[in-house]
Amino acid sequence: MGFVALEGVGKVFQGRTGSWEAVRDFTISLEEGEFFCLLGTSGCGKTTVLNMLAGFEAPTSGRILLDGKPVTGPGADRGVVFQGHDSLYDWLTALDNIGFGLRLRGLPRSERRATAERFLKMVGLTGQGAKHPSELSGGMKQRIQIARALANDPRILLMDEPFGALDAMTRAVLQAELSRIWAETKKTVLFITHDIEEACALATRVGVMKRGPGGTLKAVVPVDLPFPRERTSDGFMRVFREVHALIHEEIHGGH
Amino acid sequence: MATSRAATIAGYVAGFLLLFAIWHLAAIYLVRSALFPPPWPVFERAWLLIEDRILQEQIVASMRRILQGFLIGSAVGVPIGLAIGSFRPVRMLLEPWTEFFRFIPAVAMITVSVIWFGIGEESKIFLIAYATVFVVIISTAAGVGAVGRDKIRAAQCLGASRLQIFALVALPATVPYILTGMRVAMANAFVTIVAAELVASNDGLGKMLWDARLFMQIEDIFVALISLGLLGFLTDRVFRLLIRAFAGRFNPTM
Ligand SMILES: Nc1ncnc2c1ncn2[C@@H]1O[C@H](COP(=O)(O)OP(=O)(O)O)[C@@H](O)[C@H]1O
Ligand SMILES: [Mg+2]
Repeated sequence: MGFVALEGVGKVFQGRTGSWEAVRDFTISLEEGEFFCLLGTSGCGKTTVLNMLAGFEAPTSGRILLDGKPVTGPGADRGVVFQGHDSLYDWLTALDNIGFGLRLRGLPRSERRATAERFLKMVGLTGQGAKHPSELSGGMKQRIQIARALANDPRILLMDEPFGALDAMTRAVLQAELSRIWAETKKTVLFITHDIEEACALATRVGVMKRGPGGTLKAVVPVDLPFPRERTSDGFMRVFREVHALIHEEIHGGH
Repeated sequence: MATSRAATIAGYVAGFLLLFAIWHLAAIYLVRSALFPPPWPVFERAWLLIEDRILQEQIVASMRRILQGFLIGSAVGVPIGLAIGSFRPVRMLLEPWTEFFRFIPAVAMITVSVIWFGIGEESKIFLIAYATVFVVIISTAAGVGAVGRDKIRAAQCLGASRLQIFALVALPATVPYILTGMRVAMANAFVTIVAAELVASNDGLGKMLWDARLFMQIEDIFVALISLGLLGFLTDRVFRLLIRAFAGRFNPTM
């Protein structure tokens, strides 16, 4: 059994307009240290899967295990990078945002500072630590979010379309940085995206989801290409085409 | 930064000069009545009242009541607002209260307040506190409710306890709302103090207005009105500065 296991996980939302089956019979096993990209069209249930693994929402069926123990709620062993940057604390500096998790654990100020500085450097923002989130660009805010999650040393990093709102160039830069950071830290990453190229550039495996209702895992494509990924290489093109074909059926309704 | 501050102050000065100029022109050419004096005699009268320390006494009397009542109202309102915003049962229990009392204006409470507390300081402080408390409760509770879901979730998956989420996330995120509520409450306090002093008081700017009307001292009325305007203007500036300084910068130490 893998490090993280989702076994037949389903989620049915009850709303005013009746019930909606967002996720059905979702099964996956993640190995320690892998970079797993979950790819799917908008509304197929990607965020719901991540929220259940993060412990923000309980599955209505199946079970989720981390190191063999069932997930019952959010915890410091699973770091989350959110899609927007509303999750940053506007009243704290970039450095204090990064050190927030350490502060919760009651670490002394000097130690917090040193660790936060180290992760500030890791995400390429050395010297910008005194700025508040309102003084940072969208890309910088996502870097801070990544640093904040990593500084807390989680077992797994959960990222929900972290670069989705960025312009293409900033996104490419951040993808490269994330790839480097992942290689440095050897963290297990679950990365959600609807961008095929992004998934192929970052992942060791790409999981393609069926569209909803009842979104579920349709296929898993291993990406056995060296890092850093060469996006114009034949190998990359081959993987891209394979994943593209899988996603294409979802977009154009080839059930 | 320095130049923009200078520009702001220059703007204030120019704005007030324009106001006085219009007042002057209106009084001299338009109204031409003893009941609407031009600015200059009013300023002279104000100077006289300041030299005799009379104006200061009235201002201090009114401002002390405002400040005391305002602080009591805020000290009561903030925790209640936080509790309403944080706990559903408290909200269900207390929200009807706030929704009920906020439609009974403080000026409507003057009579009952005088019956309960007499015409001394207590009745005025009670009225100001009353005028303050519900506004502060409502804006504080709204602030707690407006804390972004992702901010709380981020804290949860960094390992925060419920108490830590409250103290380190909900509270600082709510501070700008609290200050904004207090700013609105301060404006209410000015309305209330004048009404209360008009009805029952031995000193204060409201009492000064009342006496001036009795003795037809028209300049005194204008002095009191201008004092109120300036005091309100200045306290509101202080709040705006506080809100700007704390706008998302409040950082509790724990
Ligand atoms: N709290 C909720 N209540 C009802 N329906 C929801 C809720 N959250 C998500 N959904 C629905 O579940 C489906 C999957 O949503 P989501 O996981 O956010 O998709 P994705 O992240 O892949 O775009 C969507 O149809 C969405 O409308
Ligand atoms: Mg989503």
